[in-house]
Amino acid sequence: MFKNPLLAVALLITGAISVWGIIDTVSLSATANYLVGIEFTSRAWFIMLTVSFLLITSIFLAVSRYGRVKLGRDDDEPEFSTVSWLSMLFAAGMGVGLLYWGTAEPLTHYLTIAEFADARTAASKALSITNFHWGLHAWAIYALTGLVIAYFGFRLECPSLVSAPIIKVFGENRITGSVGWLCDLLAIVAIAIGLGGSVAMGVFQVKEGIDALFGLQNTGMVMVFGIFIVLCASYILPLTVDLGRGMAILSNAAMLIAGGLMIYVLLFGPTHFIMGGIVQAIGDYFAKVLPHGFQTYSFMDEHIQQWFQSWTLTYMVWWLAWAPFVGVFIARISKGRTIREFILGVILVPTVFSILWFGVFGSVGFHGALKLGLPLLDIVRDNVSGVTFFVLEQLPLSKLTVAAVVIAAFLFIVTSVVSAAFVLGMFSTGGDLNPSTKIKLSWGAILGALGLVMILSGSIDAIKSIIALGALPFVFIVLLLVVCLLKMLKAEKVDVS
Amino acid sequence: MSNLIDTLLNVMVFAFIGLLIWLYFKSRPSEPND
Repeated sequence: MFKNPLLAVALLITGAISVWGIIDTVSLSATANYLVGIEFTSRAWFIMLTVSFLLITSIFLAVSRYGRVKLGRDDDEPEFSTVSWLSMLFAAGMGVGLLYWGTAEPLTHYLTIAEFADARTAASKALSITNFHWGLHAWAIYALTGLVIAYFGFRLECPSLVSAPIIKVFGENRITGSVGWLCDLLAIVAIAIGLGGSVAMGVFQVKEGIDALFGLQNTGMVMVFGIFIVLCASYILPLTVDLGRGMAILSNAAMLIAGGLMIYVLLFGPTHFIMGGIVQAIGDYFAKVLPHGFQTYSFMDEHIQQWFQSWTLTYMVWWLAWAPFVGVFIARISKGRTIREFILGVILVPTVFSILWFGVFGSVGFHGALKLGLPLLDIVRDNVSGVTFFVLEQLPLSKLTVAAVVIAAFLFIVTSVVSAAFVLGMFSTGGDLNPSTKIKLSWGAILGALGLVMILSGSIDAIKSIIALGALPFVFIVLLLVVCLLKMLKAEKVDVS
Repeated sequence: MSNLIDTLLNVMVFAFIGLLIWLYFKSRPSEPND
């Protein structure tokens, strides 16, 4: 294993972060907070400009003549039918984050905005900001990263590595070799830390669900660690055997549960209120989506600046942290698609789903808080992990729906960790499509340890800072990859007839 | 001090943007220079 320096250094860095976090969680969180604060203050404009640039570039590629270029040889046909391809993209858009933040995020933004605006305006604005965080900009980051991997992998037959486009475009020499090596390393660190955060968030959510399901109180960290151990045990087996198809089934099951839950809440919740909320959210979002991408809140007071850093900027770098991981997944299923199909599918389908999801869960939250006077805003302040369950408990068959969320959250984490261990194994072994069990288990252990660090940090804000710190270099890497893509596309002879 | 760090961090970004623009227009190793 240690004949491979990239793997050794990547395991060393992520292992060292894990050990630091386990021994002294407070100092790791404080350091991450401090460094991220400096970075976000100085480079907020650059992060927002980058994500807007990525969205505008995606739209340009989709509508320009380059949209006709195939991700594969010219005679390659898509591997999956359009319907199953779209449903797989839809699954990529799902995850434990949506289950966790569905109601909690709009309500959290509402608390901030309501200090400046009346309740109804604040609710609408809160939903619109949530959609911005999960919408076109987020998916443009994934789309362009996935597009680079797919284009260079399938059309130019390079290995599925972050470094491959750099070496292909600028030639193989000492500089490109070193830059490529560093990019692979940073991608691995960003994925590992990002996944650790999701593991922690998922564990917190499963714990709240089990508490709600069995009426338990004050189970605290004992329950959290119990769930964490069960989770680790659950993903060890899939890492030791080839369960490619099995993992797809588990992932689809989680997606179906989540989709079913959304429809259930829509039908059994205040349907007209939710539909009104969705329609309004669609209008608000699409009317302002491009200007919103350039919003840096520079002229606002310190409080709003803080909110902007801990939400909008953190989300954008979070998506960047996940980009190589999700990018590899969406690239693998998109061989034979044109660039136009790829971009429109990857950007639009998950965005529409996110708008529907937050429309349903956000509106039902606002209905409870503003119309029924339920103490939802207090719960958001005190225990953000419990918000989804409180909402479900107001609807019929709450035991069943709470259990569904617990199962879906658990399945999402297990499938994410198994897929991430595979992608990390692939990245750290020069693009080997079948990394050895030993390497996958090593990554599984590191992901578990990073998850434990995030759990020990005990706060979602600390988790966000640690993830942001790992992901920040990726702002630069994604831009470099996009330049590689645009440079190669310039050389494409596109048939415009 | 914080202003110095701020300036340095941003100068690095300006340099990086400049580098990207140069890389985009630079001819590829396999391309003819014209």
